[in-house]
Amino acid sequence: MKEIIVAVAGQPNSGKSTIFNMLTGARQHVANYPGVTVEKRTGKYSYKGNTVTLVDLPGTYSLTSYSQEERIARDFLLHERPAVVLDIVDAANLERNLYLTFQLGEMGIPLVIALNMMDVAEGRGLKIDTFKLSELLRATIVATVGKKGKGGKELKEAILNTYKGGHFRMGYGDACESCGACLGISREKGHFRVDYGEKLEPILRPLEKMLSEDPKISARYPARWLAIKLMENDSEAHRLVGLL
Amino acid sequence: MTLNDIKPGQECRIVDVNLDGATGQRLMDMGFMPGTKIKIVRNAPLVDPIDLVLRGYHVSIRHQEAKGVEVEEL
Ligand SMILES: Nc1nc2c(ncn2[C@@H]2O[C@H](COP(=O)(O)OP(=O)(O)O)[C@@H](O)[C@H]2O)c(=O)[nH]1
Ligand SMILES: [Mg+2]
Repeated sequence: MKEIIVAVAGQPNSGKSTIFNMLTGARQHVANYPGVTVEKRTGKYSYKGNTVTLVDLPGTYSLTSYSQEERIARDFLLHERPAVVLDIVDAANLERNLYLTFQLGEMGIPLVIALNMMDVAEGRGLKIDTFKLSELLRATIVATVGKKGKGGKELKEAILNTYKGGHFRMGYGDACESCGACLGISREKGHFRVDYGEKLEPILRPLEKMLSEDPKISARYPARWLAIKLMENDSEAHRLVGLL
Repeated sequence: MTLNDIKPGQECRIVDVNLDGATGQRLMDMGFMPGTKIKIVRNAPLVDPIDLVLRGYHVSIRHQEAKGVEVEEL
């Protein structure tokens, strides 16, 4: 039996703590991230014979190196390489929340998205095409209403399926019998990728290629992510490249 | 014209964000990008913060930050 490490990310007030509690119940442990006073909450659950450990990342709008919380979230993803990232998205503030989702996707770790606050979104008359979104983001999407405890079992199933790899499930709702509901788009068919357009791609692509051809760098960091961060003139990305 | 010139109830559109470093990044994270529409809810001279709505949610920012956001009135 293997322990599956899952990082839980999300913008503030997306319902991250609610979903975390829904999945883990009382099996939680609180410590600090190394060297700082930011709380690190971990929790466990068992599902179909697997032990899953959830690590609650600090709630942040973004993943730059400007604030301590963002650096902690980012360093965890970069250096601990969890098997899956569970991204809690506020369906009622989809546009802003996807900003973080894109950055998570660029780090190259398989994503499961909890489309939370679905009651609020529906109350506002929003209809979200989760099939389309799932296809674009290359991630399994599960609709949840954290406050009412809805979607927990589906999330556990999605996390296990994503961990096992191969393909992600399209859409959400009913339980997936070894991916019977899945349209079978394999991850090999394409990772999540934002097209930065004709002004930036001619700079990004050669940089990405150069980084991916360096064995020391490509073994440790996702080349696309590093290229984007270097283009943003991110201080931490400069440091990472300089260290090697 | 910059964002701090816009009166409560008025709408405007972002033309450019002239802020560097952490502040500029923070505003970008919150959705402040050229083309984005903003509606001012509260803006009193010398009283921080300015309250506004963009992309369907409320954001409060300082006058100092709003001065770095170039806008056009709608
Ligand atoms: N209506 C509604 N409220 C929710 C849902 N999930 C969480 N909440 C509420 O949203 C608030 C913020 O949730 P919390 O888990 O603390 O968010 P966090 O900042 O991301 O950890 C709390 O009052 C929750 O009860 C949901 O799906 N629907
Ligand atoms: Mg919380």
